Amino acid sequence: MGVKLERVVKTYYDNLEAGKITGRKCLECGAVEWPPVLVCNTCGCADMEWIEMSGKGKLLQFVMPATITKKDEMKDIKPYVFGVVEVEEGPAVNAMVRGINKKNREEILAKLPVDVHMTIIPRDGYSTVIFDLDEE
Amino acid sequence: MNPINKTTLHPYSRSVSIIGVGCSPFMNTLDDPETAGLTEGELFGYAAYKAMEDAGIRPKDVDYFFHGEANPFYCSNYITPNIQVSEWFGMRGKGSIHHSEACCTGYLALEEAVNAVASGKYNVVLSGCVEFGDAIVDGTKPSFMRRKFDFFEFQESLKWIYDNTYTREMMCGPNIHQDDGAEWYKAKYGLTDEQMDDTLIHMAINSRRGAVLDPLAISKKTYEEIAKENGFDDVMEYMKSFYNPMMSGNLRASGLELKCDGAAACIVCPTEMVSEFTDKKGIEVLGIGNATREANQPHVEVIGTQEATRQVYELTGVKPEEIDILYANDFFITSQLIAAEIAGYLPEGEGWKYFIDGRTAFDGDKPINTNGGRCSFGHAHAASGMADIYEAVMQMRGECGARQVKKLPKTAFLRGFGGAQNLASIILRTAE
Ligand SMILES: [Zn+2]
Repeated sequence: MGVKLERVVKTYYDNLEAGKITGRKCLECGAVEWPPVLVCNTCGCADMEWIEMSGKGKLLQFVMPATITKKDEMKDIKPYVFGVVEVEEGPAVNAMVRGINKKNREEILAKLPVDVHMTIIPRDGYSTVIFDLDEE
Repeated sequence: MNPINKTTLHPYSRSVSIIGVGCSPFMNTLDDPETAGLTEGELFGYAAYKAMEDAGIRPKDVDYFFHGEANPFYCSNYITPNIQVSEWFGMRGKGSIHHSEACCTGYLALEEAVNAVASGKYNVVLSGCVEFGDAIVDGTKPSFMRRKFDFFEFQESLKWIYDNTYTREMMCGPNIHQDDGAEWYKAKYGLTDEQMDDTLIHMAINSRRGAVLDPLAISKKTYEEIAKENGFDDVMEYMKSFYNPMMSGNLRASGLELKCDGAAACIVCPTEMVSEFTDKKGIEVLGIGNATREANQPHVEVIGTQEATRQVYELTGVKPEEIDILYANDFFITSQLIAAEIAGYLPEGEGWKYFIDGRTAFDGDKPINTNGGRCSFGHAHAASGMADIYEAVMQMRGECGARQVKKLPKTAFLRGFGGAQNLASIILRTAE
């Protein structure tokens, strides 16, 4: 085995186009990297296998967009917040989360962590992953 | 949460001390006919030569120099900016290298110089940084013909410090970090939005009080004076008014950097050689801890600062209670609180009260950012960290005049931050 020169990024984005959200699991220690990278950051092993993510996660923290953080190019996904999400397989990321607005902010803050799930959304020429609050 | 890999530091092969510092005013050069048209060579050369004068040395005594600039390609149209300034301070032909770690550049500039001397390769090294954060080159005309770098163009250029594989595309990392420290702190210690707002406002007021006493700072008026000019007798009322709007989830305008132009430099040599050059006491660099955390990762500043700080305390054996003065690169002003608590300079979960009580101002018992930091001294991106090193050294020598802290600091802690993101924790101590 050992490190292989492979197109991790292209594979990830190609999989998104096919409706699949994928990560890479370390064959040595079992840690998952999502979004996927070349080598395991937990144990340093280069032997990784592709897995399909469950799509489930927990929102741990979030902040509302404001003057300098809301961007025109993100208008189409309003209303959103900037969140810290831990996904079921272990990794945590900073991620966009839909379903929270000024009205329910306090209520959601009091309930954290809350369940969220991954959603694939189209951008300009590629797709990316954001999260939506689970239905109650 | 996505724990980071840890490093154990080993002692330097020989002790290294700072023997000279220099700093230009932090300013918007184009706004003043006397400074409009200043160039990279003039600003860097001035700071570099001031540092040599301060150390009592001449350019021929310097073996090598490091050059830091956060965004040389866009702001100066240079790819190798160390070469383009190398003839401007009497060191023609000497070796040099350029580095950029964006807003952390000025702190890691000290790291580079110290390592070069500690290794034994050089005895006397200059490390300088320059940035035109407000006046950028035209691209078709000589370097003195510059134009304004407005906020929107600057914001647009900031995207280049973020990963273009996932981070920009997931849209959160570049936008959450303004608020991550404040949100993390509020949740951990149970602060309300209003308590955090009050804390950050007092931070800005405290910092500004030091800055107006520093002739190099870009800010010339206290918030009390600005409030009065706008018809407010109560400065807090002004700070919470539409004159000081909320710009992010937690940061008002007073909690954001004042980007500008500036340069700063220092000279280091082996501690055992300090007396060969200067009668002043050297400022020994006891250690520098380093960590990085990419912007898609949660709690970049908190987790990176924890690791860099753990490293430097473990190496040096210094205890938090020995720290007399602290600097935090605070382009988001919350960094003062985050860095000071992680360094153990302020008690965990209680630090916010020290800001509200004014204890972190230059004349308080826990001084932080006595030059005003990024929101009052100014932010000439690469040069800012070196300006903090300049200020720490001047405070430790007792040379700060009206803004001199009450008790002469013997040990200083500096927390570098920047570049989406590098974290550095530096401990300086006056050499005996
Ligand atoms: Zn592993």
